[in-house]
Amino acid sequence: MTGHLDRVLAEMARADVDVMVLGREANARYVSGANRLFLAGTRAFAPGCAVVRATGAVHLLSVTDEGVPAEIPPERLYPLSWNPVNLVGAVAAAPGANGARRVGVDGLTPLFEQLLTAAFPESDLVDGEMLMRRVRRVKSPEDVAALRVAVGVVEDALGAAVEALRPGVTERELLGVFEEARCAGDAPVPAFQGVFCVVDGGRSRRFVGDRVVESGDLVAMRAGALVDGWEGSLARTYACGEGAAEHRARVRDWQTAWSTVTGALGPGARVGDLRAAEGVTVHGVGLGYEGLADDEVLEPGMVVEVEVERAGVVGADMFVLETGTAEPLTRFPGGAP
Amino acid sequence: MATHGLDGLVLLGQANVAYATGARVPAAEPGRAARQRPVAVLTREGEAHLFTAFPEGAPPELPAAHVHGALATEDEAGARALVEVVPAGRVAFDEYTMPVRAALAGREVADASPVLGEAKIVKTADELECIRRAQAVNEAAIVDVAAMVRAGLRATELSGRLLRRVFELGASANTVDPIFQVMPPSVAAGPYSASGGVVFPTPTRPRTLAAGDVIWVDTGINFEGYASDFGCTWVVGGVDAHHREQFERWRTVVDAALGAVRPGATAADVGRAATAAAGGRRPWLPHLYLAHGIGTDSAEMPYIGTDLGDAFDDGIVLAPGMVLVFEPVIWDDGRAGYRAEEIVAVTETGWTMLSARAEAPR
Repeated sequence: MTGHLDRVLAEMARADVDVMVLGREANARYVSGANRLFLAGTRAFAPGCAVVRATGAVHLLSVTDEGVPAEIPPERLYPLSWNPVNLVGAVAAAPGANGARRVGVDGLTPLFEQLLTAAFPESDLVDGEMLMRRVRRVKSPEDVAALRVAVGVVEDALGAAVEALRPGVTERELLGVFEEARCAGDAPVPAFQGVFCVVDGGRSRRFVGDRVVESGDLVAMRAGALVDGWEGSLARTYACGEGAAEHRARVRDWQTAWSTVTGALGPGARVGDLRAAEGVTVHGVGLGYEGLADDEVLEPGMVVEVEVERAGVVGADMFVLETGTAEPLTRFPGGAP
Repeated sequence: MATHGLDGLVLLGQANVAYATGARVPAAEPGRAARQRPVAVLTREGEAHLFTAFPEGAPPELPAAHVHGALATEDEAGARALVEVVPAGRVAFDEYTMPVRAALAGREVADASPVLGEAKIVKTADELECIRRAQAVNEAAIVDVAAMVRAGLRATELSGRLLRRVFELGASANTVDPIFQVMPPSVAAGPYSASGGVVFPTPTRPRTLAAGDVIWVDTGINFEGYASDFGCTWVVGGVDAHHREQFERWRTVVDAALGAVRPGATAADVGRAATAAAGGRRPWLPHLYLAHGIGTDSAEMPYIGTDLGDAFDDGIVLAPGMVLVFEPVIWDDGRAGYRAEEIVAVTETGWTMLSARAEAPR
């Protein structure tokens, strides 16, 4: 945690940002190490955490120190309030925040823009999300170890779902098996809602339904878990029983595309070049999903997820970039029929 | 929009987009959700345009020509593309990313929350039915989870069974880490509390349950875009007389609050009725509330009993179609407490239940 905060403070100094006000949970977790309640979906910006460069202190929205590292004493916790003025007031009252000239925020609402501008009248609001993206993109060995734990949990849970794959099972039942197995690994928090969907004539679906899996069907599986905030995720496509002949060409096409993109993966690769092929997505993975721009170049320490989807057949793995190579973090057996 | 003199409304919040267009996107942790967010652009003429990475989640009634590819609002190019489709004139946003703010280049935008708040606070009959169904799925799943509670089980195993069952029973998504929190007997025996009230809710840990543990349950799912909210209290090994007595006091508080629920009553009236029934002490957690609304968000207006204070609550006048999730707390410091939730919709004459009614500790 301290290592993370040091990195953020160094980047704040470099970018000349006096105070960071963070609304995104992963950003708050990165600087604070705090484990707060998980809620899925987008959240409108609100000041959930602040970092003051002058003091190096993290101030956190929390009514308790449960789940909050000891480095953040109770006097740096500020309580939940339904009055936005109180939340901004708590941040502005943090020692060393007064007189800030540049305040980084990772999102805004019209109301919080108005309140922050009033609370920091001397200041410009600058893009704190970009700053956090720069800091978070390269992982420490400890970060990678934490990602490996999450990968272990999600692979075990996916294994349970693959075992349950047989004619007559429904998509919903497969998701249910996965969910229960993930929680059995003490990871009740998903990275995203699992996909266990029959591949329909080359069409990819993201919402499980009541569809019954039949012998010969291909089933696309996307699975993710957060463990202590760190994400493990991957995707595979499995045939139920013997894959139908018509699927084999699809799977071969997928394998060719996969070999091409993973062959090009390594330090020095430009993200936009990797994405150029049809059906390829590339993004960062850490404390959840991390965005990467096309013009970013991969470097050692980054962790990326590469996904290839062709005619409904999907596969994705996480890789850690090392000197001269990209090592797979997910090692779940491949699923072709 | 018309009342507020708006020519356009731009929505980036997932629950707001769901409200305005009916669009679904897969549930995801907030970082992923932000980068895969749907965007809705509404015009004064009543046209709705949806920008989404998940066309499968677009409602069938939205014309295909109004469903567009996703806008990458986290990046400069995507932000510029969004600003290009923002209607001319006076436009309100619910929120924006910093790249979108930069692309707006100083153009003044209004706050969408008053418009959304006024629209969302009163539900249609269809919306009430969606909430009722979401709640029914959640309640049915809880029956199976309750049956497995015993000493020696880990709390996360309860999470697993709940999540499995809600999906088997038809849930569209799970939206919160299901809470199965073992409560301390007293505030002092629990973690530090800034509010003075007992600390709740905290994330579920793999804690092994023991006989006599008092567990506060708080769970919520999404069904076809609408949220449920189920809360109750379990005692590992079964309830005894004092748990029953706490439940009876909770029932009395909820019934007193419901006695005040009718069109024209204020949120403050309801809060006062609950407080009087609890002997003059506010029967809810000081950092939360007596009741909240629910809809495409798991907690939304109207709120009763927040730190916004009595004047705020005086200004909320109940009207038919408003939904209230009551979650009072009975706390006997040293002997833990009872918490549960019950959902009603305000009707022309009073209220109707959207959740099951608790007649005994569950």
